[in-house]
Amino acid sequence: MTELGGERSSDPRVDEITTEVEAWLESITGVGSFTSLQDLRVRLLGKKGEITQRLKALASLEPEERRAVGGRWNEVKARLTEAIDARKAALEQQALAAQLAVEQVDVTLPGTRPPQGGLHILTLVTNRLLDVFKGLGYEVVTGPELETDHYNFAALNFPPDHPARDTQDTFWTTDGRLLRTHTSPMQVRYMETHKPPFKVVVPGKVFRNEAQDVTHEAQFHQLEALVVGERVTMADLRGAINEMAEALIGPGTRTRLQPSYFPFVEPGAEFAIWWTNPRSGREEWLELGGCGMVHPKVFEAAGYSGVTGFAFGFGIERLALVPYAIPDIRYMYQGDLRILEQFRGTL
Amino acid sequence: MKVPYSWLQSFFDRQLPDVERLVELLDGLGLAVEDVAEAPAAPRDVVVVDVIKVEPVPGATSVLSQTIVSDGTREHLVVCGDPNIRPGMRTALALPGAYLPAVDLQVKARELVGVQSNGMLASAKELGLYEHGAGVIALGRDAALGAELASLWPSESVIEVELTPNRADAFSILGVARDVGAKLGYSYRHPASGLPAGDPDLDDGLTLDVQDLGAAPRFTLRRVDGVAVAPSPVWLQRRLGQLGLRPRNNIVDATNYVTFELGQPTHAYDFGAIPQGHVIVRWAHAGERLKVLNDETIEMTTSDLVIATKANGVDVPLGLAGVMGGANGGVTSATTAVALETACFEHVTVRRSGQRHKLVTDARTRFERGVDPNLQELASARLTALVVEVAGGSPHAGLTAVGKSSVRQPVDYRPTRVHYLMDFDVPRSVQRGYLGALGCKVVERELDDWRVTPPSWRYDINIEEDVIEEVARLHGYEHIGLTDPDMRFVPPESDPTHRKLRERLAALGLQEAMTYVFTGATELARAGAPAPVVELSAPQGVEKGVLRTAIYPGLLAAAAANRQAEALAFFEIGHVFGQEEEERVALLLRGQRELGKWRPGLMGDFFTLKGILESLAGLEGAKLETLPARQPYLHPGVSAKVVWNGEDVGFAGQLHPEVAAAFGLPDTFVAELNLPLGGTRIAFKDIVRQPYAERDLAIVAPIAVTFADLAGLLSAAAGEKLFTLSPFDEYRGDKLPAGTRSLALRFRFRDANRALTDEAVDELMENVIRAVRGAGYDIRT
Repeated sequence: MTELGGERSSDPRVDEITTEVEAWLESITGVGSFTSLQDLRVRLLGKKGEITQRLKALASLEPEERRAVGGRWNEVKARLTEAIDARKAALEQQALAAQLAVEQVDVTLPGTRPPQGGLHILTLVTNRLLDVFKGLGYEVVTGPELETDHYNFAALNFPPDHPARDTQDTFWTTDGRLLRTHTSPMQVRYMETHKPPFKVVVPGKVFRNEAQDVTHEAQFHQLEALVVGERVTMADLRGAINEMAEALIGPGTRTRLQPSYFPFVEPGAEFAIWWTNPRSGREEWLELGGCGMVHPKVFEAAGYSGVTGFAFGFGIERLALVPYAIPDIRYMYQGDLRILEQFRGTL
Repeated sequence: MKVPYSWLQSFFDRQLPDVERLVELLDGLGLAVEDVAEAPAAPRDVVVVDVIKVEPVPGATSVLSQTIVSDGTREHLVVCGDPNIRPGMRTALALPGAYLPAVDLQVKARELVGVQSNGMLASAKELGLYEHGAGVIALGRDAALGAELASLWPSESVIEVELTPNRADAFSILGVARDVGAKLGYSYRHPASGLPAGDPDLDDGLTLDVQDLGAAPRFTLRRVDGVAVAPSPVWLQRRLGQLGLRPRNNIVDATNYVTFELGQPTHAYDFGAIPQGHVIVRWAHAGERLKVLNDETIEMTTSDLVIATKANGVDVPLGLAGVMGGANGGVTSATTAVALETACFEHVTVRRSGQRHKLVTDARTRFERGVDPNLQELASARLTALVVEVAGGSPHAGLTAVGKSSVRQPVDYRPTRVHYLMDFDVPRSVQRGYLGALGCKVVERELDDWRVTPPSWRYDINIEEDVIEEVARLHGYEHIGLTDPDMRFVPPESDPTHRKLRERLAALGLQEAMTYVFTGATELARAGAPAPVVELSAPQGVEKGVLRTAIYPGLLAAAAANRQAEALAFFEIGHVFGQEEEERVALLLRGQRELGKWRPGLMGDFFTLKGILESLAGLEGAKLETLPARQPYLHPGVSAKVVWNGEDVGFAGQLHPEVAAAFGLPDTFVAELNLPLGGTRIAFKDIVRQPYAERDLAIVAPIAVTFADLAGLLSAAAGEKLFTLSPFDEYRGDKLPAGTRSLALRFRFRDANRALTDEAVDELMENVIRAVRGAGYDIRT
């Protein structure tokens, strides 16, 4: 509508209108608040506003003239309405911008949340191992920590006077029971209630009655595997250990079996896996635990015949301590948050 | 067990592999090598000398003497501090310029107490040869005067083998040589072969009375007259030094040497201590006392076996059988005749005696593992020959002996079982070779039906699998392949380690801890936990006398150790030991529940704790209720039993202020629940599309009336159209009668099939209000 504010027409009334409208438009642009804008809207466009009055005043004009001037005023009305609406939108924008500025938060401040939870490193290592064995088709079982001589020793072919039964090595209770010295009692318990073939792993706490120092704990954890079937061989045993090692360390990991002795296996061996010690960067054998073919006396005690099987077991602490260069095994049980909090992330 | 390389080599004519290869070979045989050490040579510029003259230093008050020694060509004057030094001793002189690395000493000619000392007479410890620092080293006459000691005492590799308990047979150089020889295909030389054994039919003036052949199945004595007690020859001292033993004199050293060489403990008695030649092996009398070689006096029981002698009606104990000789009856410098004991004692008897009197000796460790029961005659012959070699004298032709050789039962053996169990092949001829080399007698009845009679020294070969292991061990475990077991087994789904629970608790902001199952009765009492039920009989460590009856006391200790933390949230899953062993989860909360230090966070309270339990239950689709119930360790007003799916599983609440004060842990909340915490199976119902109507009501009732009580009352009154009832405000204060509170409740009603009218809902609420008033409670308006 440049014509309104543009060249002057030859009609003096139109010039008059143009001058007034320019003043009104200027005052609309200068309004700084919603209330002043509303007041201005009422003054200009209200029932008793300037425009209404001008339109009323047209009644005295000739129809021809009234149409022409009236048309002008209606144009002016639309123009003012538009200007007021635009001003309102601008004021709203300003107000929103001011509100948003006030609402700004410091996104670098810490979040609000419960205390940081986490799992114990021994749980993380155990979970990892159980994942491996579940993937290999093993059942996971657990058993009691307070055991009898029968399950911990006798049924596992420990002779009555075996040195492991000494009070120096075993926590005996005053009522003649004991804290299990290994997870192997679960071999016997499982075989009592199951028939071969099967593959099981047993994670759990075990205990040795010995003085504690940086490498010796009276309480620690083991994982035990037992596989029994029609004909299970020592090569199956090594295969299982090798698969575990590959899952833990990576493909191509080597395993080593060397003759050793545990009363409940025959032949018996200890096993080691070849790895790069993350601390020293050196490649070396990591001695892990004991293994072997289930001793016939153990099968006899379980009432099994015509089957063979293997068992292996190892300490879980070692797999937590060695890779992370944790200097003291007693850290595991001290409940010190400065230690526990460090075991976040992936193994 | 320590194995000096040259000693092992002395059993073979053929050269052994070098140390590195030998270590691999021993590891592969199951004789795990623990360590390889280099036993040092004697230092240079140390020469063999005789002591010529010992004189006090004029004017000096100390024990120092001026001593003249001779190296055969030249005399040296040295100042010596050994009070026992005597002319005629053969010893070692460190010349000026010698360096003794064991004590980091540079020997110099220097003036001492006014005397010019040209070197130093050194002890075995100073020379780095063995642990004996009291007095100068005493050398045998075999050490040539003037010789460099280093030429007689060179360095040597000593391999230390860690024996498994089954390999009693390898507890000697002979035993290790037997395995090495079998592996390499070398034949070994038995140190006793060809030596004359004494004749049991000849009277040598000794009589023997073994009262319990079960405890001493074999006992022999050999008499040697005319011995000269003196320092051992250098070769013998060196061998013992390499084993970490301290040489004493030629006869004692010979007995020790044979103990390690053959694995047969032996003992020498001064014949003078057996005046009438009568030796008795009997059970000790209760309270009988014996002064043993380490100068302690032990008080024996009737379960101790003793060697004794009886002379003129007096019965004197000479030693504790298989463990340690007595202080009386041993060899002294005055001994001229000896009775050499070579016996086999029952292993449990020896072990119990050793344990009872806390005596750990080389004899005991061998007997308790098991000594070859047929070795005694051979070992006696070997010891006799060695005593004569190093101490002179003449052995009596007779042997006084009791007991018979033992016979082993043959084992039925199928050579095909090697393949069956090991999954690798070892030809039958190779198997026979291995077994023969180990000392087994093999009779082949059929191709796959052998009788294998193990040698007397192999206690560990009794069944077919034992024989398989011997064959496999010699063949090498490196032949074991890599296969998967051929079986069909589908494992059942289970979570016995409560992994889901652990992971959820961690995600809910709790840190897993692990504490000890052993604790002290006072610790449990301090935490208000149930009194111990299971007690340990001989724990090593004073604070470990009993097993825990609850887990939370361990978490309290952990919380106390982390007291400075602004927020603590621990959990532990483990076993407790009451009348039954139970598996539990314990939770502990303390301090802020919402972290964000820059503004005040929500402090944890009972409802935070309950909220965690509710989250756990929610994830399992389980129903969780907490009902007022007291526990000694919980605040009586903030204490609940936890009901999970209708079953009592444990407790939750605020730590009792007294317990909290004892641990310095105010405002601590704990829960302890039995595991497993079961879930419910998922059941689906289609959603209800009807809108619900809401009404609020505030009820004033005594504080002891719980929300659960009210909910029971109101639900019954409202009927089945009530589908949720939730508290939204609690008020306690002056505007209410004392001992009451107002609980504002929001009711939501719904009918699955049609919209409820206001009138219908009002009617239901009237029922509710009637029930409230009927129960004696008020409506707050």
